[in-house]
Amino acid sequence: MADGGSGKGVGARLPRKEDDRFLRGKGRFVADIRIPGMREVAFLRGPIAHARIGAITVPEAHRAAVFTASDLTDVAPIRAYSGLKGFRRSDQPVLATGKVRHVGEAVAMIVAATRAEAEDIAGLIDIAWEPLPALVDMAEARATTTRVHEEWPDNIVLETFVDDDLSDIAATAPIVIRRSLRTARQCMSPIEGRGVVAEWDGRLDQLVMWSSAQMPHITRSGLSECLGLDHGQIRVISPDVGGGFGYKGILLPEEVALGWLARRIGAPVRWIEDRFEQLSANANCREHAYELTAYADGEGTLLALDCEAMVDAGAYSSYPFSACLEAAQIASILPGPYRFGRYRCRTFSVATNKPPILPYRGVARTGVCYAIETVMDAIAEATGIDIETVRQRNLVRSEEMPYTNVTNKVFDSGDYPEALRRAAAALDIPTLRAQQASETGPVRTGVGLSIFCEQGAHGTAVYHGWGIPMVPGHEQAQARLTPDGVLELRIGAHSHGQGMETSLAQVAHTILGINPAAVRLVHGDTALTPYSTGTWGSRSAVMSGGAVAAACETLAKRIAAIGAHLLQAEAGSVRVEDGSVVAPGGASVTLREVAHTWYRAPQLLPRDVDPAGLDVTAGYKPLSDGGTFSYAAHACAVTVDTETGFVTLGRYVIAEDGGVCLNPMIVDGQVLGGTAQGIGTALYEEMPYDGEAQPLAASLADYLLPGAGEIPRIAIEHMETPSPLTRFGQKGIGESGAIGPPAAIANAVNDALRPLGARVDALPITPRRILEALARAGR
Amino acid sequence: MTTLTVNGIETTLDVPPRTHLADALRETLGLTGTHLGCEHGVCGACTVELDGSPARACIAFAAACAGAVVRTIEGFEYDSVMAELRAAFTAHHALQCGYCTPGMLITARDIVLRIPGADEARVRRELAGNLCRCTGYQGIVDAILAVLAARRG
Ligand code: FES
Ligand code: FES
Repeated sequence: MADGGSGKGVGARLPRKEDDRFLRGKGRFVADIRIPGMREVAFLRGPIAHARIGAITVPEAHRAAVFTASDLTDVAPIRAYSGLKGFRRSDQPVLATGKVRHVGEAVAMIVAATRAEAEDIAGLIDIAWEPLPALVDMAEARATTTRVHEEWPDNIVLETFVDDDLSDIAATAPIVIRRSLRTARQCMSPIEGRGVVAEWDGRLDQLVMWSSAQMPHITRSGLSECLGLDHGQIRVISPDVGGGFGYKGILLPEEVALGWLARRIGAPVRWIEDRFEQLSANANCREHAYELTAYADGEGTLLALDCEAMVDAGAYSSYPFSACLEAAQIASILPGPYRFGRYRCRTFSVATNKPPILPYRGVARTGVCYAIETVMDAIAEATGIDIETVRQRNLVRSEEMPYTNVTNKVFDSGDYPEALRRAAAALDIPTLRAQQASETGPVRTGVGLSIFCEQGAHGTAVYHGWGIPMVPGHEQAQARLTPDGVLELRIGAHSHGQGMETSLAQVAHTILGINPAAVRLVHGDTALTPYSTGTWGSRSAVMSGGAVAAACETLAKRIAAIGAHLLQAEAGSVRVEDGSVVAPGGASVTLREVAHTWYRAPQLLPRDVDPAGLDVTAGYKPLSDGGTFSYAAHACAVTVDTETGFVTLGRYVIAEDGGVCLNPMIVDGQVLGGTAQGIGTALYEEMPYDGEAQPLAASLADYLLPGAGEIPRIAIEHMETPSPLTRFGQKGIGESGAIGPPAAIANAVNDALRPLGARVDALPITPRRILEALARAGR
Repeated sequence: MTTLTVNGIETTLDVPPRTHLADALRETLGLTGTHLGCEHGVCGACTVELDGSPARACIAFAAACAGAVVRTIEGFEYDSVMAELRAAFTAHHALQCGYCTPGMLITARDIVLRIPGADEARVRRELAGNLCRCTGYQGIVDAILAVLAARRG
């Protein structure tokens, strides 16, 4: 353990500092914020997926309370363009302009004393809709003459192509696999929705906005672009955030609208998203379609992969990630942790009349893992080789690390075959196979595996390549000793459950020996923290962890210099440990005494003291921008009731490697929580749309989130291969858990159905899909 | 006007008839520890203790609560069972964002007191009405089981 045995540093399972306030109901979420005179906002949202907006009639008595696009003339639309060649640009109006392009798009903003009154007024507004044909399916959207954006020649946001002529392999490969797979549109569903409180501070000439946001500095940049204010005129505060997962990693039209409104009416305003809004207007992730052709030899070696993939990108390009990241990433990460050398992949990001796509935890990885792992099981079936061996034959091996794969991803370190071996061994596949062999009744056992690696904390080079409005550079952190020896850390990233108040205090403890209880993390306020792209892409442990370490190291040098002087020791001879500066003979002064000297007794300082004092800003980047690669193998058993179509999860094992964990308890929590989300993707979560692109799941009674009864106990096997690229060897792993389950569970269900000749090729694997597959198989 | 007891204090609420109990607690009384996740009675974030049992404050009208005894998370500050649960929740990493936590704790306390012999399957079943999107439930289940075991001695 890197924590030096104190039980508090990097590597320790330190209980979380932030827990206490939540356990006593003292968390402060955006809906808890009160400002005297605050008014409430409701949005009138379009009830039709695609329609021209005719006359908007507002009753005379309520004219002053209602604002539409025609009022927001000084607001620029949201623009999130990608620099990728061929990307089609479109603007997202803050309030719908001319037409609506998906159900739930905001058309009017209503302000009143209470939300209920605002909703009442919304109900009195009449809009003359002229419905247009709605594009609900991405394949259909590619074929039709109807346009989501009239100025485009078709509905393709971006097409990417990794080219290779595979005809030589196609002509000779003994095994050819074809699969068509679909994944459902999902809603990320943090339990706390979005919310915004905005106030115009006339004294500072500044917009102050509280928003439940993962990336407050990016929100501020976006607000600046849309509202025409300079950054100094905007302060964004993200209080406690009740879960994000990508849902709050966006500049919201509502943020821009409320920012404008607060200034316009000279009163603080608040909008809190309700669950109906979240489900009906914002089911915005995960919808992929794959056409896969794989070529393998008789030993199960994957020779080449050919893929055409589509992503339903919805109606707009969200800020800052844009509408094409998901599909473009499919092309670059579909090869997974495997070593095959020939690859062809064409992807389409397709615009439809659905909510604009956002990157949900795992982003494209969840879909591509499902795709490639389906291929692996198909090769196993075709060759008669068992599911573990076929993967072992194709995985990148530890002695090949660092390994550059077919799409030029550089895997930094790890032992993928060992992770798979451990997960499979812990599942005890031979016993399950024996069980299967004895089954003749309606309830069938299935066994499934998946393995993947996850690029995290990738930086400048990667995002410059995408050419989107946000390119992460050096991550900065500030470390400041206060006059009484408390350490204040300031970072621009933000926690939405990741426990950074604890894990970054552990980093500081490792460098300075300071008790984590004496460390305070300041984050989530653009006025108090250095610029950062925020918390996304499994980056905070690597980036903020590295930056905090760098700041603490510089601070340690300055502390040592003052401490040595107070101890009358040689400057280079002292050590900073256990919250003190210690001279070779054992004499020591505490950090508190050092801090007191700098701030309150400067007459005692050495004459050559560093005038920058005990306040440090440092920047950090890993040794390479290409990212760390954590990895995991998932292994599970299921039973399928072939009469009802119900799936029950049995034993579920994960072998994972996130490098050195800052706090392994927190990492376990991320993996377990992500896995529950992945189980939702696999079995439950789906936003269905009717032929008019109307969302059909309008409450959590229709959109099924897994509860405690649906999630089995999950066993985690730890591996720890340090990343050679990062400060402590840590790797980004926050999204990992959500990636593996759909692949492992789908493989297990299809393993159970195989003796019956049935197969499900779509997520989620609902009872209906299983029964339909059985019916197709004549069962 | 509706008079009820909230966290031990007799309180008179003057709210429109359509106001649900959670809004009345949060907006009128400033008790923001009761959270709203769905307002459809599904997620359990708004769980409070109503006349001794867990109830969803989002689907109870405040005006229908005349004479009721309501306890929110703030009202359990000095409750010894809740203290055990808080310690166990931290020890077992049973919370991440903390948004579901107040409702989860009120349900957990009810499980601990009502079903002292509950095993894991029973605890999971009893938690069916409280959704957590962050933890995957394992830490929550383990925390409750630990308190149950400690109380059995
Ligand atoms: S807010 Fe009451 S059950 Fe969800
Ligand atoms: S801890 Fe975030 S919803 Fe439960």
